[in-house]
Amino acid sequence: MVYRSYTLKREDVEARNVLSDLRENLGIAGLTACRIAHRYDIESVSAAALDAAKNGVLSEPPLDEFYEAELPIALTSSAALKLAVEALPGQYDQRADSLAQCLQILSGGERPATAYAKVYLFYGDLSEADVNRVKAYLINPVDSREASPALPATLIAGFSEPPEVARIENFFTAEPVDIIVEYRLAMDEADLLTMREYFKSENRLPTVAELRVIDTYWSDHCRHTTFLTEFLNVTIDDPEVQKAYDSYLELRKELGTDKPITLMDIATIGAKVLRKRGGLKNLDISDEVNACSIRIDAKIDGKDEDWLLLFKNETHNHPTEIEPFGGAATCIGGAIRDPLSGRAYVYQAMRVTGCADPRISVANTRPGKLPQKKLTTTAAHGYSSYGNQIGLATGLVEEIYHPGYEAKRLEVGAVVGAVPYKNVRRETPAPGDVILLLGGRTGRDGIGGATGSSKSHNASTTELNGAEVQKGNAPEERKLQRLFRNPEAARRIKRCNDFGAGGVAVAIGELADGVAVNLSAVLKKYAGLDATELAISESQERMAVVVSPEDAPRFIELANAENLECVQVAEVTAEPRMVLRHNGKVVADLAREFLNSNGARKYADAYVEEFPTLAPYISNEPLDTLVEKLWFCSQQRLNERFDSSIGAGSVLVPYGGRFQRTPAQVMAALLPARGAETCSVMSFAFDPYDSEANPFSAAYNAVILSVAKLVAAGCDYHSAYLTFQEYFERLRDEPERWGKPFAALLGALSAQIELGIAAIGGKDSMSGSYEDLDVPPTLISFAIAPADASVIISPEFKEAGHGVYLFERADWERITRLIAEGKIISAWAVDTNGVEGGIFKMSVGNEIGFDGVGVDAIQAEPGSVIAECTETIDGARLLGTTTADFKWGELTTKWEGVLCKVFN
Amino acid sequence: MQGIQLRVIIPVFPGTNCEDDTAAAFERAGFIAEQVIIRNITPSALAESINSLAKAIGTANVLAIPGGFSGGDEPEGSAKLIAAFFRNARVSDATHELLDTRKGLILGICNGFQALLKLGLITDGRIRSQSETSPTLTYNNVGRHIAKYVTTRIVNNSSPWLSKCELGAEYAVPISHGEGRFVASGGFPEAQIATAYVDNPNGSYNDIEGATSPDGRVFGKMAHSERVNKFVAKNIPGVKIQPIFESAAHYFD
Repeated sequence: MVYRSYTLKREDVEARNVLSDLRENLGIAGLTACRIAHRYDIESVSAAALDAAKNGVLSEPPLDEFYEAELPIALTSSAALKLAVEALPGQYDQRADSLAQCLQILSGGERPATAYAKVYLFYGDLSEADVNRVKAYLINPVDSREASPALPATLIAGFSEPPEVARIENFFTAEPVDIIVEYRLAMDEADLLTMREYFKSENRLPTVAELRVIDTYWSDHCRHTTFLTEFLNVTIDDPEVQKAYDSYLELRKELGTDKPITLMDIATIGAKVLRKRGGLKNLDISDEVNACSIRIDAKIDGKDEDWLLLFKNETHNHPTEIEPFGGAATCIGGAIRDPLSGRAYVYQAMRVTGCADPRISVANTRPGKLPQKKLTTTAAHGYSSYGNQIGLATGLVEEIYHPGYEAKRLEVGAVVGAVPYKNVRRETPAPGDVILLLGGRTGRDGIGGATGSSKSHNASTTELNGAEVQKGNAPEERKLQRLFRNPEAARRIKRCNDFGAGGVAVAIGELADGVAVNLSAVLKKYAGLDATELAISESQERMAVVVSPEDAPRFIELANAENLECVQVAEVTAEPRMVLRHNGKVVADLAREFLNSNGARKYADAYVEEFPTLAPYISNEPLDTLVEKLWFCSQQRLNERFDSSIGAGSVLVPYGGRFQRTPAQVMAALLPARGAETCSVMSFAFDPYDSEANPFSAAYNAVILSVAKLVAAGCDYHSAYLTFQEYFERLRDEPERWGKPFAALLGALSAQIELGIAAIGGKDSMSGSYEDLDVPPTLISFAIAPADASVIISPEFKEAGHGVYLFERADWERITRLIAEGKIISAWAVDTNGVEGGIFKMSVGNEIGFDGVGVDAIQAEPGSVIAECTETIDGARLLGTTTADFKWGELTTKWEGVLCKVFN
Repeated sequence: MQGIQLRVIIPVFPGTNCEDDTAAAFERAGFIAEQVIIRNITPSALAESINSLAKAIGTANVLAIPGGFSGGDEPEGSAKLIAAFFRNARVSDATHELLDTRKGLILGICNGFQALLKLGLITDGRIRSQSETSPTLTYNNVGRHIAKYVTTRIVNNSSPWLSKCELGAEYAVPISHGEGRFVASGGFPEAQIATAYVDNPNGSYNDIEGATSPDGRVFGKMAHSERVNKFVAKNIPGVKIQPIFESAAHYFD
């Protein structure tokens, strides 16, 4: 027997926002009013618990109207549209889940079955066309659907024993392309032929599970097939790029490498060369690859300690494009799990996104796409709700605007974690070691996510990829953060892998060369999942750890104490094969060597045209129009959604000064330990318009600027490390498209060698195309360095009467010294908006004016830094002085208002 | 503190995320902080958690409900999961015993404040059910999460939690909440308003940022006074250390 109730807010902020959104953005003028009723269905709970829930859980008397069974006629009869929306079956619904948890707390018994639907009541006069537009706008078929008004007989899904995993009978006889189409594979025909060779040698047919597992292993998302594609012919018309390419070939000689020339090689050779030359002393090398990792000397309570600093950037462009809330939430959730799997406590995050103009009318939305405004606001909500719930300080949030991101949104999370070195034990798993799965249960969500993000997309994507989107459960991941912070648990972990793309097959498969997995032991959200689903589901908030058998019981105990489920699902074996069993039967049995082959070798040609030379940094707009430009305006309203203070470690908050207006160019946070005096400082840099014109120089400049921002904050740039985010159009087999990432990576490489600083990690996403639309060539440089928190400074002007100087890149070491001596008290690394743009942003935070002439005409080379100095500085260019008289009040109001219609 | 070791109990619910910052703030003030993790993966784990929290409160001088997103602020409203847990008879009795018999103190910050207010502990100093006119905390009037520094003023320092704060003193304190708007259709006693926003960010009734029970021993506030540290928020001017934890320690002297 299912119990149903409805709750409505008497004063409903949400309904008010929906109404104005539909009227203003969708142009439904006939709408006059909106109410939202929250419909809860509950099954099998004690009457006492249900009664208790009516006051406090199902409704709050001071705020809500509450109705049982039915909504009153008064509300429904006059409604022009009554629309009930529910999550797709199998999608995680935090609202229904928390209701069940509250009911269980009240009853003390088993957790009851619950279901939730949001019922919109629209009043006014709506045409049939209006109704359809409202439905299309409010229901994203990727994660939700219109719910039936009828009361279901039961909420408990019927239990059906899943069918056994079939073999692919026509595997050797069918045309490869037919198999690819039939199973909607990401792999290409060459890969399928490679697979045939293997199964010939195994002398058997593959199972469906094996086909899916291999498709996932070899997907671009998991294996960077694009970055590992070998260049056969390279043609370069740009002399600068040619020079950089020649030096790259010299670096290969210096290393004595004969590995194929690939994007991966250009991306990673800088670090290898600098290490060979005796640099990158702090790099932490291990077989276990969780995230970028460096060893640092930390000051904790005045004592020196040996710590590991881990950082990682992660994108979720495809999922965020089709379902912005879940996609962006799992972007940060997934990014956190990388350093976390390295046993680090993740304490700060940065968010960098790319979007087309979100101010354009919803009516101009491209068919098959979500409106840009809905994308950017919903993604911000998804990322912030996850980050805020898990308790992660988001130190820097910036959105990059360029029309090209209409092809596919850019959604990047970059996270920083740290851990005392002594808490981390790293050992090669030995036969007999056990593999424990802990955290969330496995469901159907996220099946095919890795392969999905690696396929090409068109208007039909949104219907087809529903099952590929996952929902985040931050409170669950919070428990993992707490557990791994406990040295007693951390020190028992020999090796750990998070469940990112690929699920059990990849996460556990990667832990050791030989593994025997018992899929039947995997805890499920609901019955009826077959072996293939259990093997490749990407359900969030799960970790796999390798521990020795004698450590397993205690580790499970510690996990349970954190309210986490933890079970043994696999064992390390001597034979280098991955064997998956379900109900005692082998459903996959694959040689490690074959899996690691990553399929057929891929080849491409690259052509680089001659690019126009980029001008030095100078504002190409007068200030009074610049303040209203998307690429310059204040993003504070967007930023306010993200908790930036939790952890009590944020050395800088995102917007500084008495008026909280001057954007910090870096995020800086104390290491997560009581009495920490050492902080990490992280920045990013990238300009889409420069990169569109000249990806080579733009990438070079991005590296320089990202490091200049660290310098302006007080860091010693020699201690900096880099990680890159590449996001490019689908390269197909067109040499001029391959030429863009090729040139960009060469530009970034030149800058690394010049500075003696290297990228020690990165993430590539090479699917930024939609029909005829491409994202701009995107190479984001993230720079990070440890620093003494006492020296860190912020950009906003501090006091009137100080000299403001312009320093050049050659002065970086001097700047660091002057900041440490307290002679530079605020500084700004000049970006594409030039010197005047920088001075404006430094000025608004404390409303301290600037007196100086001709700053709008200054051409500043990348790496230049504007600094407020407490004394006269020789050998730096004096720009002017700070004054008590702030003249930019009106411009400030304009500057803050540009995005107010998008971000309330 | 004449040798006696003061104890604060900090329950950790699914979704709580300020327990460590809160523990650190109390330890700096001389307390021993004990965290009790509320486990609910099985009915037996839940029963054990009820017992261990009730027992722990029985040994504590102070109960502090930390901030976070218990249950993800779901179903559709904050702190419902915490409130449901405290309505369990054993936990309610232990809470009343702490307040009435042992004259202990209770603090709730952000999600903790939401829980205390919805339980009745702010209004009446007792756990009781809400009526239509009960004050509560709900969605900010902007309809979204707000995270920033705000300035708050001490408007009444008669509570033991505020004995070390000057009347009228102003502090720069970070807020981070989606449901911080204090509403009171039935009004709320002036005398129980402890701290007020100088520039009301969320539409709260009478600019209320923090409020106490009639006798002042239960204190709830939205702004995160525990989020302080040497070197924190260097680009925000103002006094950031608000000595409420030190005030609590002083109360037991």
